[in-house]
Amino acid sequence: MRQRSLIAITAALAAGALTLTACGSRDDDGGGSSGDGGTTVVIGVDAPLTGDLSALGLGIKNSVDLATKQANKEKVVDGITFKIEALDDQAQPSSGQQNATKLVANKDVLGAVGPLNSSVAESMQKVFDDAKLVQVSPANTNPALTQGQNWNGGEKARPYKSYFRTATTDAIQGPYAAQYVYNDAKKTKAFVIDDKKTYGAGLAATFSDEYKKLGGKIVGTEHIDPETKDFSAVATKVKNSGADVVYYGGEYPQAGPLSKQIKAAGAKIPLVGGDGIYSADFISLAGASGAGDLATSVGAPVEELPSAKEFVANYKAAGYKDAYEAYGGYSYDSAWAIIQAVKKVVEDNNGELPDDARAKVTEAMQNVSFDGVTGKVSFDEFGDATNKQLTVYSVEGTDWSPVKSGTYEG
Amino acid sequence: MNELPQQLVNGLLLGSMYGLVAIGYTMVYGIVQLINFAHGEIFMIGGFGALTVYLYVLPDGTTMWIALPLMLLGAVIAAVIVAVGAERFAYRPLRGAPRLAPLITAIGLSLALQQAVWAWYPGAKESINFPEIAGGPFEIGSVTIQTGDVFLLAVAPISMAILAYFVMKTRTGRGMQATAQDPDTAKLMGINTDRIIVVAFALGAVFAAVGAVAYGLKYGQVQFRMGFILGLKAFTAAVLGGIGNIYGAMIGGLVLGIAETMATAYIADVPGMSQLGGQSWANVWAFVLLILVLLFRPQGLMGERVADRA
Amino acid sequence: MSGVGPVEPGEGTRAWDIPGPGTPPEPSPEPPRGRLAQTYTRHRRVVLSIAAAAVLLAGGGYLYATRPEQAPPDPPPYPSQVVGITYLGPEPSPDNAPPKSFSIGVELTVQSGPQVTVLRITQPYAGLSLASVPRLPFRTRTGFPHKINITMQVTECAQVPTNAGLPFLDVTLRNMRAIQVHSFILGERYAHDLSEAVQGACSTNSATAPKR
Repeated sequence: MRQRSLIAITAALAAGALTLTACGSRDDDGGGSSGDGGTTVVIGVDAPLTGDLSALGLGIKNSVDLATKQANKEKVVDGITFKIEALDDQAQPSSGQQNATKLVANKDVLGAVGPLNSSVAESMQKVFDDAKLVQVSPANTNPALTQGQNWNGGEKARPYKSYFRTATTDAIQGPYAAQYVYNDAKKTKAFVIDDKKTYGAGLAATFSDEYKKLGGKIVGTEHIDPETKDFSAVATKVKNSGADVVYYGGEYPQAGPLSKQIKAAGAKIPLVGGDGIYSADFISLAGASGAGDLATSVGAPVEELPSAKEFVANYKAAGYKDAYEAYGGYSYDSAWAIIQAVKKVVEDNNGELPDDARAKVTEAMQNVSFDGVTGKVSFDEFGDATNKQLTVYSVEGTDWSPVKSGTYEG
Repeated sequence: MNELPQQLVNGLLLGSMYGLVAIGYTMVYGIVQLINFAHGEIFMIGGFGALTVYLYVLPDGTTMWIALPLMLLGAVIAAVIVAVGAERFAYRPLRGAPRLAPLITAIGLSLALQQAVWAWYPGAKESINFPEIAGGPFEIGSVTIQTGDVFLLAVAPISMAILAYFVMKTRTGRGMQATAQDPDTAKLMGINTDRIIVVAFALGAVFAAVGAVAYGLKYGQVQFRMGFILGLKAFTAAVLGGIGNIYGAMIGGLVLGIAETMATAYIADVPGMSQLGGQSWANVWAFVLLILVLLFRPQGLMGERVADRA
Repeated sequence: MSGVGPVEPGEGTRAWDIPGPGTPPEPSPEPPRGRLAQTYTRHRRVVLSIAAAAVLLAGGGYLYATRPEQAPPDPPPYPSQVVGITYLGPEPSPDNAPPKSFSIGVELTVQSGPQVTVLRITQPYAGLSLASVPRLPFRTRTGFPHKINITMQVTECAQVPTNAGLPFLDVTLRNMRAIQVHSFILGERYAHDLSEAVQGACSTNSATAPKR
């Protein structure tokens, strides 16, 4: 009798312990099932992993990593294990091109996510296109990358068939900011500053165009040197111009100090920028005086999308050291688009990768469609995202809080 | 409203910072004819030294009146240790080597220091916020001066005066002058030139550290790359003022700072020059100025004859 | 049966609870002291089964609490995430339209989720006023396109941009989740038609009906 009850307890305890450990291991093992043979497909990542913009770059890299782990865990493509190869472009076009060449040389690479900077993308597009290797950028917003140099003159022509992006273009972002600043914020005199880079100058130009059309006055323009942190001379000019708003085309490492120095110079006017300044670091760099600064960013606010919440939770659970930042969701979706394209190609070829996998994946990318972190992901005939949402955020306390959202339905 | 006074003050502040850093270049060059390209990174290390004191040594909420001297001390200690260490382990073994060897070592050291801070200082992959002195800006006529700038305005002339006194009046200072004029003879006269060289590196580091604290207070942030461009500018300032001459370094810094500010502020308004104005062209105008000065005064504004040295 | 142990029981291999022939009978175990222990000896079976049940419950509870989908039913989506508006084209102005006005048609569709109510439609320019048919607010049916006729009147030509590149409509939407003002940027065709209509309405010869 005694033995029997002892056995019962042991059995119960063992069962409990087993289920508990099973729980534990289910979470830990996640990506560990990669050992079970099959083919490895590498997704290249190109982003600035060092330097001023490394926060954004590391967010991109980690998000792509998360996407591949998720794909391996859920066995999205049978028999295929995804890996990433992350290369640092230091936000330099020359490094970007070298990285593109390197990724092309690796036969396992079937797609690449990146880069962050439009100027870097310009140097990579041809290398990838010659190799028919698909490239999906989570962050490039320069319209010319997909619609050709003459996009503004009404002659849209896609220069490279292998280039796609999940980000919205400046052709929408700049004008939307202009509308918001002129009509909603009622600011009629703008001082426009840019950093002369492809992204910044392009954004500032689309803003200025629309702002002038709406009836706003550009009271001054300035191009800053992104290598310096001393903008006092520019700030003094802004103050004396009598502007009631500053538009900055560029990125947060310069925008933060610029905003701070403009306010310190005595011009208590908001600084408005694009997705390049939509980063938590902008708020800390701009300091307390940055309250009320505005940024437009691509996509809807995270709290409005359940898929985004899940991404945020997974990202946290994966324990990455760096935040996912402005482009995390777009990077995840970019990687997921490549994974979906690979899946389609493999399924069409009886479960194996065909010989011309790169060309096939590029082809398949055109018809990819799924519900991603940032909403519905699919691409139009230029390779641009069809989901064109954007949101105006304003600095409140230590956070960006959404002010107004819009959807492009053209 | 006339913005000239404000722009002059902006230039003066920027120039003072260039000058503080330029002293390190000019002193080391004057004594060992080495362009210490790692000096910009020593400046950066100084900034991080001050930050470390503020973040990890002092209790939270220490007022800046107590914190600032201690941060200054931390900055100086960090910068001097790195500078003296660099001299001892990177430059001294190459004392007799061809001139190119220490130059390349300096560039390598510069990259190594940058990357070391990037990799190991917690949070240094991004700009880190630097504490600021509370209190509103001061308005003097049409000129606005930030609280953080007051430190720079006060400290730059004071430290220059101390340096001048040190070099002119003290034994070590005169030893430095002697070593600069002729190291071999100085040695024969019983001057410990190795010690003098160490002192030169350390003094340069002290000034860089002071400059770094001023930088942090002025811009409210430090980052691992802050020394690179500023170092280049300071080197330019040292050459402009006449490399090897400590007064030249300060004057060169001021001229460069004011020139850049004026170029940013006014070139675009000159008829037909709107394409060539603005801050992105300020460097170009600064270097145009440098070339013009060197054309007419190859030794720099305050320099002595360097032809027989270089 | 792999030959472990002797076939015949050897010395000392006898089961311990059968008293050996030579050994004195074991003293019956002393009743343990303490009330708790006594209760335990008396109700050992009950206690043990309760303990086992408790362990199982705890294990099950842990599993339940940490199960992967703790899906409380998803809250309905934000209205702006399910509403699409497409631009149809210019429409003839209604008969009672005021001067300097023109009409356009848009189609609003709620793709999924609960009912959405359209509370307000505005446009951002100070010199334009806007009226719409059907009258607002109106409720929508999910998955069913609703055509809306919008008539705009130019009240002050100076306050309307004649060539805005990215005009939009601000639509206030409400569902169970939230009330939102969302901009619907209707694209190039709308921008073109709008600027043409505004130019028509504001041209010097404003007596003529706006060009269509």
